[in-house]
Amino acid sequence: MKTTLAALATLTAGLLFSAQTSAHHSFAAEFDADKKLDIAGVVTKVEWTNPHTYFWIEVEGKEGVDVWGFEMGSPNGLMRRGWTKDTLAIGTEVIVRGTQARDGSTRGNAQAVILADTCTRLFAGTSQRDFVEDESAKVEGCTPKQ
Amino acid sequence: MSNYLKLSLLGAAVLAASTTLAQPPAREEGPRTPAPRLADGTVDLNGHGIWELPYITDFATRMVGAQKGDQPPMLPWSKALWEYNRSNDVKYDPEGFCLPPGGPRSMGTPYPAEFVQQEDRILIIFEGGGHVWREIHMDGREHPEDVNPTYFGHSVGRWEGDTLVIDTVGYNEKTWIDFNGHVHSDQMHTIERITRPFKEVLHYEATIEDPGAYSAPWTVAWDIEWTDGAELQDYICQENNIWLVELKDDLGHPFFEKMEAP
Repeated sequence: MKTTLAALATLTAGLLFSAQTSAHHSFAAEFDADKKLDIAGVVTKVEWTNPHTYFWIEVEGKEGVDVWGFEMGSPNGLMRRGWTKDTLAIGTEVIVRGTQARDGSTRGNAQAVILADTCTRLFAGTSQRDFVEDESAKVEGCTPKQ
Repeated sequence: MSNYLKLSLLGAAVLAASTTLAQPPAREEGPRTPAPRLADGTVDLNGHGIWELPYITDFATRMVGAQKGDQPPMLPWSKALWEYNRSNDVKYDPEGFCLPPGGPRSMGTPYPAEFVQQEDRILIIFEGGGHVWREIHMDGREHPEDVNPTYFGHSVGRWEGDTLVIDTVGYNEKTWIDFNGHVHSDQMHTIERITRPFKEVLHYEATIEDPGAYSAPWTVAWDIEWTDGAELQDYICQENNIWLVELKDDLGHPFFEKMEAP
């Protein structure tokens, strides 16, 4: 498992220069680039589908558990970034960075998913046009649990 | 053969520097391996690898000879429609409906492409744009007199030296020129010029002639990078297009209402 994640990190770093953002529909019509999100939670569901992959996390909120849903790029784009269909298993602890839906609901567009166990950052193929990927696959200030 | 190759390479260099290409390839760094050739000397547009199509969201930014801020010479109606499309965050972009990108946009839409070069035709297969392909007839035929409008139109190609020239008519009006909301009419006629100055780069140029939507022809150009050994992947856009299900019209109603069968 550790080997796989290390390979993922290498892949992610190696692909930064050729990475394309997803492009299926208008980002601006659905998401607000100014409503930035940085949320930790546990993955409860994943839809590995075209033209977008989706996943849901449970987040400890002030009044109980909130469920957040996130849009990512399509599987082909994610796989070129080092993802596999198993990267986000149910129960995985993640930190999601992205932007919130314009309607204020608990939906968002993921820019990066950080695996809490290893602090590996995976870019999520956002369709946000002006998003610039960080050059490091590792997350500063994050302590791997393993 | 080696003399022929040298001559061909010289020809490619001359061609690249001539006015045939309105914009010489911008790539000045990285490897510049001579373009591969088929047994008959024709430039091989592919090989084992893929073309990393850039995402050209706004064709106005790639207009040859244009200044920053310039727009293609739109007619009043096409300008009004472009402004409308921008006013609603281009939410009605046909590509968001998983419909094909149409002509030149196919060469500047996400996900890579590959050329399949045969004697009588060239196919361009696209991972993106709804996993579509274009067919360019290379057998010397002409356009039919009465073309049935389609997403990619009717394409005939020929080689001018090392430049593949693709002439296309018969487009329908169901695509946009670009993500930015520039539109076109079914009178659109495109002339695309493709060269492979080195193995690592494809230079793409398209002239858009559309008296139905533009007052004069205009030309866009960009380079496309090669990734050796990479392969196309699966991308079936229409699988789970939630965007379409949730899309609202300008009055806030679902874009697609449930309809009774006639």
